[in-house]
Amino acid sequence: MDKVRIEELNVYGQVCPSTLLLALREVNRLQDELHRGEVQLDIRTDNRYATATIPNAVRNMGFDAKVRKEEAGYLIQVCAARS
Amino acid sequence: MSPILTTMFLGLLLGLLAGAIMQRSDFCMTAAFRDLFLFRSTTLLAALLVLVTISAVFFELVRNLAGTDSFALSVLGVPSLVTVLGGGLFGMGMVLAGSCVVGTLYRLGSGSRLALWAVIGIILGSALYAEIHPFWSTLKQLTSFGPQAVTLPQWSGLSPWFFVLALVVVTGLLILWRPQAFAPLPGWREVKGYIPPLYAASALAGVGTLSVILFGRSLGVTTSYTKVAAHLEQLLIPGHLAATAFFQMQKPVIFPFVPEPLTVGPGPTFDGIVVMQYPLIVGIILGSALSAWQLGEWRWSAAANWRQTSSVLVGGVLMGLASRMATGCNIQHLWGGLPIFSVQSLLFLAGILPGAWLGGRLLVRWVLLEKC
Repeated sequence: MDKVRIEELNVYGQVCPSTLLLALREVNRLQDELHRGEVQLDIRTDNRYATATIPNAVRNMGFDAKVRKEEAGYLIQVCAARS
Repeated sequence: MSPILTTMFLGLLLGLLAGAIMQRSDFCMTAAFRDLFLFRSTTLLAALLVLVTISAVFFELVRNLAGTDSFALSVLGVPSLVTVLGGGLFGMGMVLAGSCVVGTLYRLGSGSRLALWAVIGIILGSALYAEIHPFWSTLKQLTSFGPQAVTLPQWSGLSPWFFVLALVVVTGLLILWRPQAFAPLPGWREVKGYIPPLYAASALAGVGTLSVILFGRSLGVTTSYTKVAAHLEQLLIPGHLAATAFFQMQKPVIFPFVPEPLTVGPGPTFDGIVVMQYPLIVGIILGSALSAWQLGEWRWSAAANWRQTSSVLVGGVLMGLASRMATGCNIQHLWGGLPIFSVQSLLFLAGILPGAWLGGRLLVRWVLLEKC
């Protein structure tokens, strides 16, 4: 099996709604590779609200998302939906 | 303990509670309006509607039990058409600042460095309002609806319960029609300590009701910023402060559990505003900080770029200015005024919607879409 490439996006300390806007822009840019499962997008943020809005938005776009607490904030992983 | 100190202490507790709830939920009233336009998201607006509906029932119950008159007049003033403009400017300001006046407090508590710039902006904006106050009061008087139109019940002559029940029915029908619009976003349990907006809204309606019992009015914080501006002018330009009419205004106020009459005003004196708002402000910051610390996520945020920082500062100035133009910020109008069907608050709402839309356009066009 091919190795999944990980793309990283750090959105710390920015004015709202940067986190969601930048995340959606990245998801759109990578959408074909994300759908094929070749890429996973790791978003790091300190914005609590984004931990609810980003997974919701990307799930509506047909991806899967996981939220994990990290030392400095949250890690939101976006990947292909498991069928 | 003297009644004043007891009231202040209880106000601090209310602030702690509100700050912790808003931090956990990230209950952002800026996002509520901004994201309607930017992302077609109504999650937080639905929560706001629930907050207003629950508050309407409880505020009216408290008013009936305490046997008092409507408390809108002393707080929100006689409605005038220019409040739409104040609301519009406020809506634009809060979107540029990334959070509203109360929002900056809980964000500051949880370590947001940007929120500090918003606070500075709000103080500057409040000082600016003092300069245009004579002109603005003339405009207000010219477009006034008259003292008979403070609330819809008063204006129409119908019982407040008629409006409360109508609101309950509308909200209830909306919940039945679109239950998913009110439900927490799926996956909310993935984040530790997260409170979905609907639960936060219900809890905050409770805090608002306690504020009505304690102070005879709903939550408010903005006059305090004017007081800070007045203190600064007293230090730097005392002659100008003494010559500015706005800072000399004082109105009588009676708190239910304080026997002696107090006054409230924007000048640099110890008065009812200090009793009511200072503990609330300290409480919201502390409550949010404690909540973030308990979740292990308190830290000073990284510094944002100059574009975002100036946007937040300008947004703060607009909010400081607009909350005096509209006699109150969004929290006072939306959480305190709408539940009592204040006409002034409905005018504010009519302004904040286009204001937030315009703010969103400016933010996306000029502030965000630069490589970060």
